[in-house]
Amino acid sequence: MAYYIARRLGLAVMVMLTISLLSFLMLKMSGDLAISMAGEGSGADYVEFLRKTYGWDKPLIVQYGDWLWKALRGDIGTSFYYGSPVLDLVAKSMPVTLTLGAWAIVIALGTAIPLGMAAGSRPGSWIDRIALFIALIGVSTPIFWLSFVLILVLGLEFAVLPISGGGTPAHFVMPAIALAFYSMPAIIRISRAGMIDVMRSDYIRTARAKGLRPHQIYLGHALRNTLVPVVAVASVQFGFLLGGSVVVENIFALHGIGYLTWEAINQNDYPVVQAALLTVSSAYVVLTLLADLLNVMIDPRIRLD
Amino acid sequence: MLNPLRRGLFAVLAAGIAFSPLAAHANKANDTLVAAFQAKLPSLDRYHSPGREGFLLGLLAYDALLYRDPTTFEVKPLLATAWRQVDEKTWEFDIRKGVKFHNGDPMTAEDVAYSFEYAANPDSKVFNRMTGGWISKVEVVDPFKVRVISDKVTPLALEYIIQLPIVPKAYREKVGLQAFAEKPVGTGPYKVSGGSGNDVVFTRNDDYFEGGGKSKPKIGKLIYRAIPDVNTQVAELIGGGIDWAYYIPTDQAEKLKRLPMVDVINADTFRIGFLTLDAAGLSDPKSPLKDVKVRQAIAYAIDRAAIAKSLVGGASKVIPSACTPSQFGCITDVTQYGYDVTKAKALMAESGYANGFDIDIYGYRSRPVAEAIIGYLNAIGIRPNLHWLQYSAVIQARRDHKTPIVIDDFGSAGVNDVGAALPFFFAESPDDQSRDPVVTQATKDAGSIADPDKRKALYATALKQIADQAYWVPMFTMPVNYVMSKTVDVPVPADENVEFWRATWK
Amino acid sequence: MASHITPHSPQARLWNRPRLPVGRWGLILGAVIIAAIFVIAVFAPWLAPHPPYEQSLSDRLVRPVFMEGGTWNHLLGTDHLGRDYLSRLIYGARLSLMVGFGTILLSAVVGISLGLLAGYFGGRTDLAVMFILTVRLSLPIMLAAISLVGLLGNSLFLMMVILASFLWDQFLVVTRSLTMRYRDAEFVLAARASGLSDIRIMLSEILPNLLSPLVVVATLEMAHAILLEAALSFLGLGIRPPDTSWGLMIAEAKDFVFFESWLVNIPGLAIFVLVAGITFLGEGLRVWLAPDNSQ
Repeated sequence: MAYYIARRLGLAVMVMLTISLLSFLMLKMSGDLAISMAGEGSGADYVEFLRKTYGWDKPLIVQYGDWLWKALRGDIGTSFYYGSPVLDLVAKSMPVTLTLGAWAIVIALGTAIPLGMAAGSRPGSWIDRIALFIALIGVSTPIFWLSFVLILVLGLEFAVLPISGGGTPAHFVMPAIALAFYSMPAIIRISRAGMIDVMRSDYIRTARAKGLRPHQIYLGHALRNTLVPVVAVASVQFGFLLGGSVVVENIFALHGIGYLTWEAINQNDYPVVQAALLTVSSAYVVLTLLADLLNVMIDPRIRLD
Repeated sequence: MLNPLRRGLFAVLAAGIAFSPLAAHANKANDTLVAAFQAKLPSLDRYHSPGREGFLLGLLAYDALLYRDPTTFEVKPLLATAWRQVDEKTWEFDIRKGVKFHNGDPMTAEDVAYSFEYAANPDSKVFNRMTGGWISKVEVVDPFKVRVISDKVTPLALEYIIQLPIVPKAYREKVGLQAFAEKPVGTGPYKVSGGSGNDVVFTRNDDYFEGGGKSKPKIGKLIYRAIPDVNTQVAELIGGGIDWAYYIPTDQAEKLKRLPMVDVINADTFRIGFLTLDAAGLSDPKSPLKDVKVRQAIAYAIDRAAIAKSLVGGASKVIPSACTPSQFGCITDVTQYGYDVTKAKALMAESGYANGFDIDIYGYRSRPVAEAIIGYLNAIGIRPNLHWLQYSAVIQARRDHKTPIVIDDFGSAGVNDVGAALPFFFAESPDDQSRDPVVTQATKDAGSIADPDKRKALYATALKQIADQAYWVPMFTMPVNYVMSKTVDVPVPADENVEFWRATWK
Repeated sequence: MASHITPHSPQARLWNRPRLPVGRWGLILGAVIIAAIFVIAVFAPWLAPHPPYEQSLSDRLVRPVFMEGGTWNHLLGTDHLGRDYLSRLIYGARLSLMVGFGTILLSAVVGISLGLLAGYFGGRTDLAVMFILTVRLSLPIMLAAISLVGLLGNSLFLMMVILASFLWDQFLVVTRSLTMRYRDAEFVLAARASGLSDIRIMLSEILPNLLSPLVVVATLEMAHAILLEAALSFLGLGIRPPDTSWGLMIAEAKDFVFFESWLVNIPGLAIFVLVAGITFLGEGLRVWLAPDNSQ
C-alpha cells in the first residue's frame, strides 16, 4: 500500500514537472518578453538592459531552473497588462472557477446518479429512455448554445435567476447547470451500467429471494457498488470542468480562471496564460492523485494489480 | 420585429418588473446606480489607466485643475479658481483653497506639482505621454499658486491640463504605486470604496466642494461593472440588473427602443472610425501597402456609406478626411475616394496585384464592421487575415511594427482640435505608419505655434497630403447608443464623458 | 509488469465506459445523417443558392421563409452582413466536417502509433508512453487549446494540429490494450518466428484486427473535435472569417440571441444533429461489432 502511494506520488511530481517545462516553453515562445515589458518606443539599450536584469540572455535550461525555483516559492511572473503578480490574479480567479465546478458537479451528481440508477433498474422503460435521451443531448449540445437557451428561459422569460457576474450563489446556478449538462451523460451511463450489473449479480438475487425489500437493496448495495466508478468519473469530470468552463465563464461574465486566460490571450499577456494553465493542470494532477488514493482505500482490490 | 409571442412575454415580464420589488427597483431602493462597461479598469490609478474607461475614472474619483463641460465645451474652473497665460510658454493657476483629498489630507500646490511632474516624466509611463510630455517645469509660487512652464509653445496646453488629475503627494509616496493603484485617493465627486477591476464601487464624496465645474453626486453609490459580452449587457438591461450601458450596437438598440423598461438615446461623439495603412512598410519591407495605388484601391473598395448606415447606425455619417468634422482645423475639401469596385480592381491590376494578396488586419471594436470590411476587400482580391485582440494589445502590436492594417477609431479625448489626433498618428509618433516628411513637418509646426489661422493652414496641408497618399481610409463618425433604465436619468454628453454625478432617480 | 494503469484507473475507465444501447435503428439513423451531411458538404457549390461570402448590407437580417417577413429568395434568411444563411450553413458543413476528419486523422496516427509501440514492446517503452498519456490527460483541453491558438495562430491546418494534439488519448488506450492482448497470440508468434520485422508485424498482423474498435473510437472523437472547434470559433479563436463553420455562425449570431434567435438556433441545431448522428453511429457500431462488452 505504501509502495503504491509512493509510486503514485512520484508520478504526480514528474507529471507536474513536465507540465511546468511545457508551459515555460510556451511562455518563451510567446515573443520577446524584454520588448513587451519595455513598452512603446523604448530604445534598444533599455531592452538589452531588461534582458540582462531578468537573465533572459542565459541558456534556456538555466532560465527554466530559475523560473522553476521562483515558481516553487510562489512567484509565477508578472502580468504585462496589470503589472501585478500573476499569483494574485490567479488566486482571485481560482475560487470562482472552483465554486462553479463544485456547483456543477453537485448538480450533475445529484441529477445523474438517481436518474442513472432508476434507468438501470428498469432497462427499456420510459425512464430509461429519458435518461439515455438526456445523455445523448448532453454530449451533442454545444455548451454555448445551451447557455443562451438557459439565459433566455431562466434569466429573461421567467426572470428567476440573475445573469451576469458572480456576486451571490444564485449567480452560479445557470452557469453550473450549463456545465453540469456536459458531465451528466458520463455519470448517467456509469450509474446505469453499475445498476444493471448489480441487478444481475447473485448477491442481489439472493437478497431478493430472502425477501428484502427493493429499496433496501438499491440504496444499500447498489449505491455502494456504483460509488467507486462514479467517484472516478466525477474526478475526471471535475478536471474537465476546471478547464472547460472558459465558454461558460465568458458568457455569464464570471471572472474565473477560464475567463482570465481568455482575456489574457486577447491582451497578449502570456505570463498570465502560462500561469493559468499551470495552475489548472496542477489542480487536476492533485485531484486525480486524491481520487486514486481514495479509490484504493474504498476498494483494496485495486492496489494489488 | 419581435414576434408576437415574444412581444407578449416581454410585456408580461416588463409589467412584472415594473410592479415587483425585484432587481430594477432594488438598485433604486439601494440608491445604487449600476453601470456596465465592456472593459475593466486595469488600474485604479488614473495615470495608469488608458482609454475611455481611464478617462472616466479620472472624472469620477479625481479632479484636474480645469474641467470641460461635455455639452457646451467651455472650460470651467475646478481645482483651479483662476488661470492666466503669463507668457507664450508659461501658464499660471490659482489653486482652490479648502479642498480635501478623500483621506482628509488638504490639497495644495505641492500636490499639483507632484502630479504634473509625474506625468511629465517619461519613466512614469503614464497612459498618454502627450498629456504631460509638454511640461518642462512646475513652479510652486505659494501654497495655492503654480506656474506650469513648457519649453515650447503648446496651443493645446489647457486641453492637456484638463486630462491631468491631481493626486496626493504624501499618501502616494507613502503607500507606493502598487498600493495606490488598489486603494486610490483623489479629490473627486466619488470615492473608490471597494471592489476591483471588474466591479468597482464608487461612493459619494459627501465633502465634495462647491463652485467648480462638477458637483456633488445626487446618487449615493455607483457601481462600475465590467461585462464584456454585449448580450449579457442587453439581458441585464432588460432584466434590471444594470441601469446604464453605452456602445450598444445599433441592431440591439433598435430592439431595445421598443421595450418599456429602458430609454435609448443616440448621441454624437468625437469618435471617428478609420483604417490605418502601413505605407512605410514597417511591418514588411515588401508590403503591397507601400504602393499608393494599392492604398487607393483599398479606399475605393469599401462602401463606407453602407457600413455607416447599416452597421454603425444612428446618426453615423461618412467622413471625408482624417479628422472629426467639427474639430478646429478639420477640412473636408480633400481627395475623395467613393465606393467604386471597378476602379479599385483597376488600381490593383495597375500595381501588379491583379491576383490579390494576403495581408494581416487587426481590429478590436466592432466585429461586424471588421467582417464587412473583410468582405469588401475580398471582392477586390485581397485576403485579410483577421487578428482580433483587445485595444491595448492591438496598439502594442502596431508599435511593435506588426500591423499592416488596423481598423481603428479615435475619440481625441473629447478635444475639439485636430492637434489632438494628428500628432498621435503621424509626425513620427510610435503609431505613425506613414513617416511622411510633409505631414510630419506640418503637424509639428502647427503644434508649436499659437496663431489659429497659421495652424489651420498647416493642418490643411497635412490633411491634404494624407488624403492624396491614402495613408488612412477615413470611414465614419461613431455616435453612441446610451441605454438606461427608466428609473434613472443620466445626462447624455456630446463627447462620451458621462457626468454620472448629475444622474438622478426619476 | 506492474503499471499503474489498471482496469480501474481513469485512463482505462474512459474506454470502458458503458455504452448506450443503440439498436439497429439508431445505427442506421446515425449513418443516414452523416451520409446526408457529407453529401451536402461535397456538393455545396451546386446546392447553395447564393455565394456564401456575398455580403449585401441592405439585405441584413432577413428572416427565414417560415417566419413572418421571410422570403423564398433566402430560405433561411440572411445574417448580419446580408449573406444568405442557407448557403453559409451548407458551406459551414464543409469546414465542420473537414476539421472533424482532419483532426481525427492526425490524432489517430499519433494515438495508434504510440499505442502499438507501447502495447508491443511493453517495458520501458510502455512506461514512457503511459507517462506521456498522463501528462496529456492532466492538461485542460480548452485552456491549453486557446493558449496554443493564441500563440501560434488559427490557420485551418494549425487548428487541426492543435485540436489533434488533445484528442489522441482514446486511440492510444484502445490500441495499446488490444495490442497487448494480441502480442502473445499464436499468429503473431508465428510471424515473429518467420523473421518478420517488428514494424511489419505491428502494421500488417496486429493493426488490421484493431480496425473495428478504432473506427468506433474515431467516430466518437470526431464528435468531440467538432464541438471543440465550435467552441473555439465561438470564442473568436477558431475558424477565420469569411470562412464559416457552424460554430463561427453561432458566434457571429451571438449578438442576436434575444431578438433574432433563429440565427443562433439554426446552426446550433445543425451541430446537434451532426454530433448526435455521429454518436448514434459510433455507439451503434460498438454494439454491433462487440456485442459482449469485451474487446
